[in-house]
Amino acid sequence: MIQCINFFCALLMSFLSLQNISKRYGATRAVVDVSLEVERGEFFGLLGPSGCGKTTTLRMVAGLEAPDSGSIMLDGRDITRLAADRRGFGMVFQSYALFPHLNVFENVAFGLRARHLSQKEIARRVAEALSMVSLNGYERRGVDELSGGQQQRVAIARAISIEPRLLLFDEPLSNLDVALREETRTELRELVKRLELTALYVTHDQEEAFALCDRISVMSEGRILQTGTPRGLYEQPEEIRVARFLGRNNLIEAVRLSASHAEASMFRTVEGSHTLRVATHVGANLPLNKPCQLAIRPEHIQLYRESNERATTENELSARITSVSFAGATTTIKLDADGLALEALLLQPEGFASGASVTVRLPPERIIILK
Amino acid sequence: MYSKSVRTALLLILSSAFLLSFACKGGGGGSAERKLTIYTPHGQDMLKDFVARYRSVHPEVNVQFLDMGSQEVLARLRAERNRPQADLWWGASHLTFQTAADENLLSAYRPTWADKIPAASRDAQDRWYGTYQTPEVIVYNTQLVRPEDAPRDWDDVLDARWRDKILIRNPNPSDSMRAIFGAMIWRYYKDTNSAAGGYDWLRRLDANVHEYTVDGALLMQKLARGEGAISLWNMPDVWVYKEQKGLTQLAYAFPSSGTLVITDGIAVVRGAPNEEEARRFYEFVTSVESLTYAAQKYYRLPIRTDIDRNQLPAWMNEPFKQMDMNWDLLRREGGEWLRYWDAEIRGRQRN
Amino acid sequence: MKTISKHSRAFILHPSSLILALVVGVVLLYGVIYPSLRLLLASLERGGAWTLLNYVEVLRERAILEATFYSVWLSVLTVLFCALVGVPLAFLFERYEFPARRIFSVMASLPLVLPPLVGTVAFIFLCGESGILARAVQHLLNLKSAPWSLRGWGALLLFHTYTMYPFFYVLTGAGLRRIDAGLGEAARSLGARPARVLFRVVLPQLTPSLLAAALLTFMTSMASFSAPLFFGGGVRVLTLEIFNARQRSDAPLALTETVVLAVISLGALIFFQRYEGTRRFVAAAMKGAPRRRQPIRSGAARVIAALCGAIFTIMLALPVITLLLVSFARQGSWTTEALPSAYTFENYSRILTEEDALSVLFNSLKMSALAAIFALLWSLCVASLVSRRKLRGRRIISLLVLVPWALPGTVVAVSIAESYGQPNPLTGSFILVGTFWILPVIYFLRFMPLVVRAVQASLEQMDPSLEEAAASLGARGWRRFLRVRLPLIWPGALAGTLLAFVIALGEYVASVLVYVPANRPVSIAIAAEMRDFNLGTAAAYGMLLIVLIALSMTVAARLERASKV
Repeated sequence: MIQCINFFCALLMSFLSLQNISKRYGATRAVVDVSLEVERGEFFGLLGPSGCGKTTTLRMVAGLEAPDSGSIMLDGRDITRLAADRRGFGMVFQSYALFPHLNVFENVAFGLRARHLSQKEIARRVAEALSMVSLNGYERRGVDELSGGQQQRVAIARAISIEPRLLLFDEPLSNLDVALREETRTELRELVKRLELTALYVTHDQEEAFALCDRISVMSEGRILQTGTPRGLYEQPEEIRVARFLGRNNLIEAVRLSASHAEASMFRTVEGSHTLRVATHVGANLPLNKPCQLAIRPEHIQLYRESNERATTENELSARITSVSFAGATTTIKLDADGLALEALLLQPEGFASGASVTVRLPPERIIILK
Repeated sequence: MYSKSVRTALLLILSSAFLLSFACKGGGGGSAERKLTIYTPHGQDMLKDFVARYRSVHPEVNVQFLDMGSQEVLARLRAERNRPQADLWWGASHLTFQTAADENLLSAYRPTWADKIPAASRDAQDRWYGTYQTPEVIVYNTQLVRPEDAPRDWDDVLDARWRDKILIRNPNPSDSMRAIFGAMIWRYYKDTNSAAGGYDWLRRLDANVHEYTVDGALLMQKLARGEGAISLWNMPDVWVYKEQKGLTQLAYAFPSSGTLVITDGIAVVRGAPNEEEARRFYEFVTSVESLTYAAQKYYRLPIRTDIDRNQLPAWMNEPFKQMDMNWDLLRREGGEWLRYWDAEIRGRQRN
Repeated sequence: MKTISKHSRAFILHPSSLILALVVGVVLLYGVIYPSLRLLLASLERGGAWTLLNYVEVLRERAILEATFYSVWLSVLTVLFCALVGVPLAFLFERYEFPARRIFSVMASLPLVLPPLVGTVAFIFLCGESGILARAVQHLLNLKSAPWSLRGWGALLLFHTYTMYPFFYVLTGAGLRRIDAGLGEAARSLGARPARVLFRVVLPQLTPSLLAAALLTFMTSMASFSAPLFFGGGVRVLTLEIFNARQRSDAPLALTETVVLAVISLGALIFFQRYEGTRRFVAAAMKGAPRRRQPIRSGAARVIAALCGAIFTIMLALPVITLLLVSFARQGSWTTEALPSAYTFENYSRILTEEDALSVLFNSLKMSALAAIFALLWSLCVASLVSRRKLRGRRIISLLVLVPWALPGTVVAVSIAESYGQPNPLTGSFILVGTFWILPVIYFLRFMPLVVRAVQASLEQMDPSLEEAAASLGARGWRRFLRVRLPLIWPGALAGTLLAFVIALGEYVASVLVYVPANRPVSIAIAAEMRDFNLGTAAAYGMLLIVLIALSMTVAARLERASKV
């Protein structure tokens, strides 16, 4: 009977589920009331600035720290109090944590030996794991003879060798240089997907999280701010902190003017007193005449030269270019629209020079209202 | 590889621990044979000799000795009061023995020759008996001092010409030096009933002292090497160093007003684990043969009166004048006198 | 303390910590707390009543106040002199490259392992008033009397500096190796003159090392006994006053003075403890890290540096050479001559053939090995326990562990003898005094702090995520310990254990109070031979001890090197 209930629970619940986890160190609240659900086979990211509690959360999942309250469920089983060495999770550490006294083979074999497998089986699985990270032939090397990238791959091989139920990553790429990082992250995602593993990935690098993860929770000051797919988070941040953290954003303080149509609201910016239409139903619930934050991505701002005769149309403002900075593929243009500072990102900046007067258009459907 | 060396080292440690535990057992396993433990200040040369002689008669006995100063013996017996380790205590001044007897550290044993020594040289309750007489003398280095210039009496060593020329053994651990200092104080105490005069004497001695040496061996060595010219020490030691250790330049003189004679004793320890063996050895070293041998070989003056004086070295039969001494007073007050000397006199007369 | 908390990310608790806590608690209770308390209580007792009279008396006595003052003053001067010798030496050997530098740099830490008693004996032979040097100078200059006497402040400071400067040398060397050479270069590029770089950049970074060395030197000097006994002359120091009071059977005074000495030492320890020096010391003592040294290019300077090194090394080695010489002297052939006149192998053959004499060496080896092995096991327990952040009283445990090390050897021996010489509430009728085990126990207590510190230091240097990685890979407690922690802290632990072993081999001050025939150690044999004026035999024992120590060091170096392959 109980088994039956467990079975149904497992069906209903996600594979890994954190329920109201909290952890404090002395007076510091490292993790506050964190809940999240990770589905089987999902590549899940925890993203946030350093000190936001993401690593502590990961360590609690790994069993290296015990939460003060809340519970962790895996596949319907409560593992909150299960010791780390009984969870069967693979973990890749930021420092790789390769055993300096063991060679590559023994490092990878470590978890297999702890499982008392036969020598043959160990040899087979080590070879398999090493081939997955393309390190065959390195078995007898000492770990300090390897490059950073190779060490990183040994750490991954070691973690997957035990056929983990869950793979945990603690900023594993942060010690690699940029080119290697991008290459490795593609490989990593492919590997995890090929092995149909569930992964929990901690990083402070937004780009990395977007490239790797199916879903991401953005954390700040011990709390989860928002969870969603990379695209959803990028395009619909619900909070100013998320908007700020995920790429560049123009944040505009504004006051809602009237409850107009259900699918659009009118706002007046605090700086520059421009009137903006925002095409979203979210605005309907906002109180009138209260300041709130609007956001628009720099790449969504449209620029027209002054000669264009459309300066009075909806959501179009006159502005002056204060600076133009070239960054290869794109160019960032800083604007001043009667006191409202804006930033636009252009692919073709020809004809825009510092000091020139321009017309700026903020497409209503691109403006987001933040909480 | 790390792990390999760790395994080797662990193996080494474990196996050595295993072997050691066996070795320890092996040491204890010899308990089938009879054992005897002696605490003694008599020095290894003499001890080894006597133990060898004893074992030639009693080869089945495993004789062990701890060689240390007499005060250290006393301190040890006190510490081991509840688990006595020693069987026999051979050698210390009768004062030290009496102190131990009063603290109930000794057990009574009446040797077969009990009536062959003067009553003053034994404990009334048989807890210790005298073995040797130890005269305290003035010692000098003949390379630095001609015999006719050597001090003739105690007070002569206070003379200004010996300034910075006297070596004295640290009296705290030494029965001989305690007795000499005590005797000097007694010389004044008996008339004045106060130690002040004696302290004064010791102050004047301190002014002449070049160094207080750590032990007797260093005293003799330094004296022979001319670090000092004269000293006060016991006669048997001077003979030993002169005849056996190659310090031929040493010589001694009896103080003309009389010399101090310490009674060296022997006693069975209370609660001795091998009391029978202790008594047997006791009898052995105080037999006429052993005493005569000790006299010939180690210059020890026997106390027993039934010894053939012709067997003894000629110098032992030369008469010397004994100094009178209130031993009881020394035993009672000696500690305080020494404490005062140590705190207020030692080294304070220099400059 | 920050470094510890880094380590303490405790895994979800397992019951082994309870056992650990129990072991540590019991050993501390029996080995440290109870004996120390007993000692303290005994000093507060007179005639069966509690009283402060003993202290009042001590504080009134001018000689004892002097002794206290001179002890501290001597220690301060010793620290100063050792720094003056050790620090420049460390700079020379760490920063410059010149011929034979390696040999000299190894030789420079030699006095560290020379047992104090053997050192004292060698010093008497060498620089005593009638020793080899004095006689040589006397003959050379045709003097009537000895050119100097090896007594008083000069002699004490000379001997203390000789035996204790390696603390500064080793620690400063380790500190210099840690300092980023780039910092000095940066300062130079900013236009700082070399002297300025030294005082503004290098020395401030060395401060922790220097303070640690100062503490070690200070405490060792406070506890120094052999030197004041043999060379002190009229200088009163506490250790000597305690000895004399004991010899006079003035037990209350001796106890009270002991407590005064212990309080000073512990005070210094607590004062300096935040600098965590001793750990670094042991970790550094036997490890070397390669570092770029500045070669001395100028030919003349090279010759001078090498020459200085050579002279210095010879000076260091002289006492040992003297000992070697005397060990071959025929009995009675060295009385008034500058050098022994006749040589023989008799002394050695006597030791090596006589069963007694050999057993003395075996005893020392056995007891030191036992003490060292138990110290190693124990320090693994303590270090594991103390590295857990959640444990309350972590700092108290750390401090208690250090207490026996802060106390002079005599004090440890006396307190153990007092505590376990009679039936007592802790042990019932078990009596330690008079058994073989008393010396291993005392050696263990005296020297285990060195091992604990070494293990702690290694543990702190270890990346904690290694053990976490092992846990995440499914390794349970024991496997984690044996396969990850132990191999990684092994070199440091081995170095500490070996240091304890080597020092225990030559231990004298505590042994002399409580040894029994069954465990008579080699140091006692040396002292006994000295007492009987068998200088050659004493020297031969000393040489054998030195050879044993050198052998153990070599073996350990091998083990350590092997473990690094």
